[in-house]
Amino acid sequence: MIGILASVVDGVLVGAVYGLAAMGLTLIWGVMNVINLSHGAIIVLGMFVVYFLTGATGVSAYVGIPVVVVVGFVAGIIIYWMSVNRVIGRPILMSLLATFSLNMIIIGLATAAWTTSPYNVPVSLPGITVQNYTFTGTHIMAAIIAGAIAGILYLFLHYTRPGKAIRAVASNRDAAELNGIPTRQVLAMAFGLGVALACVSGALIATLFPFTVLSGGAYQLKSFVVTVLGGLGNPAGALLGGIALGMVEGLATPFTPVSWTPIIEFGLFVLTLIAFPRGIFAFTKA
Amino acid sequence: MTEGANGALLLDVEELEAGYDDVQILWGISLKVKAGTMTTLVGANGAGKTTTLRAITGAIRPMGGRVTFGGEDVTRLSTHAKAARGLVLVPEGRQLYPDMTVEENLEMGAYAARARKRYDDHLEKVYALFPRLKERRRQRAGTFSGGEQQMLAIARGLMSDPRILIIDELSLGLAPVVVQQLVVTLKSLKEEGTTILLVEQNVHLALALSDYTYVIAEGHSFTEGPSSEVAAKPEVRQAYLGL
Ligand SMILES: Nc1ncnc2c1ncn2[C@@H]1O[C@H](COP(=O)(O)OP(=O)(O)OP(=O)(O)O)[C@@H](O)[C@H]1O
Ligand SMILES: [Mg+2]
Repeated sequence: MIGILASVVDGVLVGAVYGLAAMGLTLIWGVMNVINLSHGAIIVLGMFVVYFLTGATGVSAYVGIPVVVVVGFVAGIIIYWMSVNRVIGRPILMSLLATFSLNMIIIGLATAAWTTSPYNVPVSLPGITVQNYTFTGTHIMAAIIAGAIAGILYLFLHYTRPGKAIRAVASNRDAAELNGIPTRQVLAMAFGLGVALACVSGALIATLFPFTVLSGGAYQLKSFVVTVLGGLGNPAGALLGGIALGMVEGLATPFTPVSWTPIIEFGLFVLTLIAFPRGIFAFTKA
Repeated sequence: MTEGANGALLLDVEELEAGYDDVQILWGISLKVKAGTMTTLVGANGAGKTTTLRAITGAIRPMGGRVTFGGEDVTRLSTHAKAARGLVLVPEGRQLYPDMTVEENLEMGAYAARARKRYDDHLEKVYALFPRLKERRRQRAGTFSGGEQQMLAIARGLMSDPRILIIDELSLGLAPVVVQQLVVTLKSLKEEGTTILLVEQNVHLALALSDYTYVIAEGHSFTEGPSSEVAAKPEVRQAYLGL
């Protein structure tokens, strides 16, 4: 019994990181109605940034997190102006194709550079032992960092001028222009933030599990499930959705082989869409 | 908000042509607004009033003609760049941010650098003008009644430190008492020297309120003149005043 409970708790810890990844996806959708199909590839970029950073400098992966945020933000801004800006306000298929092709470019280049063999970021943290079950230190740390970043995002969106401008642009772009807000710049900033969130979640995942250039697909799928659970375009719901998905995974782990995970996720995805088309946590929309 | 030289030409729209995709709606609209005056633009439903304002602010790209603001050719500037210069539109349908609070809406109105510098002054002034907004400054704008939303929309426009305040459909959908209240506010703003361009369907109201009136019909300039003279023109009395 304690084993199942421990598995669920561990699922919640990992789920917070899924939530962080989904926040990046949902922020971009909520602000500019673009579904970012390069989300998974960008998560993988975050993994490799932290891998090379720790390898080259010997610093702890956690010290590298701020660097990952900056790299992700700058990469996001560049991607916005090169690609996404051209498809804003156009039919949804255009932005799907644009971000999908970006996905292929990133994966192609990354495969050429780093092959598809597995990597891992060595981190050692003492765990916490309760009775005879040990909660892994890295999982606890990842959840704390994910929660902290989610909190910072909330404060940024609600208590700073640029954050409020992002909410204004998400709410009504024409009105924002009339108020003197340079909305394209605000969109670029929001895209940069979304990419930074995806990169950081990738960096945190890299401290938990081994990864390859192709790992992004699985985490992109999880992000979609989480986003549907939390309500598309709702960052606060994304964190709750991530935790919910983690719990379900934690609950399933003792009973099912790992290969069943995608089936459970897809099942949850479809059931949520049928039962709660606007997301289970949609009511939390700020 | 006061323009130095009273009576100087502030906004000059010449032979403006615009439309949507392939459909041309405006076929050469001209109008001039002098500093410190209240000017109105009237016309029937679908005459092209809102389209004219969209082309002036840059929400749609003019196909021809020129917009000069404060002596500068602003025809091709983006909407936010014009707003930053003080060319401010309170759009049809208010276009508030419903999930943001009253004060956040006002703060967004003062986004541009010029307006930001005087944020505290303007906030105080706007709250004095509409005490109701101050009482409810932490409330979400989406929970407001139509009249309160129009007050907030005008207040947000004033936060932009307008050199000209353009209001599209001041009275639409509002109870007569609320309209009267807003009219009083506009008159006091004008007394202080704010330049106002008003678009109204209620031609009686527009003619009574303004110094100068432009009438457009089907995307063309129909007639213009000092409001009292326009009100006396037989073609206007017949077509717009039902007399
Ligand atoms: N987004 C649009 N796309 C295509 N046509 C439009 C669009 N908006 C307005 N029109 C057309 O342009 C013409 C002028 O519309 P406009 O909104 O400028 O009129 P208006 O004078 O403001 O009318 P109202 O008094 O009803 O507000 C109308 O025939 C309308 O159907
Ligand atoms: Mg109109």
